[in-house]
Amino acid sequence: MPDLSALLEGLLFLVGEEGLALTQIAQLLDITVIEAQQLLEDLIASYQQGSHGVEIVGYGDRYKFVSKAFIHPLAQKLFDLDRQRALSHSALETLAIIAYKQPITRAEIEEIRGVSCDVMLRKLMARGLVEERTRSKAAGRPILYGVTEEFLDVFKLASLTDLPQLPDYHDNSDNEDLYERSL
Amino acid sequence: MTFTVTINDFEGPLDLMLDLIRKNNMDLFELDITLLTTQYAAFLHQMEEMHLEIASEYLSELAGLIEYKSRRLLPKEKAILDGEYEEDPKDRLVRRLLEYQQFKEISETLGERYRERLQQLSRPMEAISQQWLSSIDFNNISGSVYDLTKAMGKALDRYVASLPLAVRVTKPERSVDDCIYKIRQHFDGFSRAFSFDEVLDTCIDLEEGIVSFLAVLDLIRVNLLVYTMDKDDRIWLKWGNA
Repeated sequence: MPDLSALLEGLLFLVGEEGLALTQIAQLLDITVIEAQQLLEDLIASYQQGSHGVEIVGYGDRYKFVSKAFIHPLAQKLFDLDRQRALSHSALETLAIIAYKQPITRAEIEEIRGVSCDVMLRKLMARGLVEERTRSKAAGRPILYGVTEEFLDVFKLASLTDLPQLPDYHDNSDNEDLYERSL
Repeated sequence: MTFTVTINDFEGPLDLMLDLIRKNNMDLFELDITLLTTQYAAFLHQMEEMHLEIASEYLSELAGLIEYKSRRLLPKEKAILDGEYEEDPKDRLVRRLLEYQQFKEISETLGERYRERLQQLSRPMEAISQQWLSSIDFNNISGSVYDLTKAMGKALDRYVASLPLAVRVTKPERSVDDCIYKIRQHFDGFSRAFSFDEVLDTCIDLEEGIVSFLAVLDLIRVNLLVYTMDKDDRIWLKWGNA
């Protein structure tokens, strides 16, 4: 019987970009989730430390093999990759607001951004980064929006709790200049 | 004072206000709305003179600023008796600016993470495993139009990925030896004479015809073929006895 680590490695190789969830791994290998977590961490570390061109990442509870960043310049040469799917400032701002405030209505997003977000929301939904959740109980029962698992993947997040801390400006106790403090 | 930035450099009215506050070294917590209103209006006028289109959101915020400014000229009424507590417009503006500033900053961090993620590439799932997956129950498919767009995008990506990286069209090179082999195979066991035209019939292009002629010459040289020509200049070939 090959060891569990080798089995996990082989399975991750097969599933490719779809990745495996922690619970799937535990089920397949007939071990507990905690054991699976430990097994994964060890395997991730061995790819991190050793001289490898690939690594294992866990975004949105999907563990998968990706090529390391230093492979990218050569990949660009190999595949003629010059088209980077960039996200505009407006897209990033809208996503940030939804991620930190979800579930949130369109009107609430627009209140924060000060501009209309209708088109942007539709674009983000088409890219699978944002989804419609339920409807709010407020007047008119507006749709509530939230981010998707794809969002977690493209921002390298294991879960929403992984989001970087929002900068805190709400401290009014001293009158220091806002911009000096944010430096 | 000349403006070197245009309205297109801003994400919206709040972004513009934050920029004006920073440029004029104003304190956000002790916000001078009169000064901000003047600066904000001046900027919009400048843009108008440059014939740049100003989105309605900018004008709506300007109206809000002017309303606040004019309200301060009126005597204050302490009428909270109607029960509706209204947030002081200045506090509200400061709160919005602070909140916007938070998200503007965090979106830069997110953008950095996004660019990092683009450097990591993964591969599609092993192709044969697609066949193992149990077939789809078409009666139970649900999803929004966005799911459909996404699925279509994925299908197109897969199609593009299935295309070869480079296509090169080359002519197969035929050697005399290949043609000798071909002629021996094709006319194997012919006891009758056959014409060179019959050999040409087995060729797909002129090049192969020429190489086949060379092959015939070679076969004649080693006495495997004997030849003759009739009065119409037709070449007749026959297997020799060598």
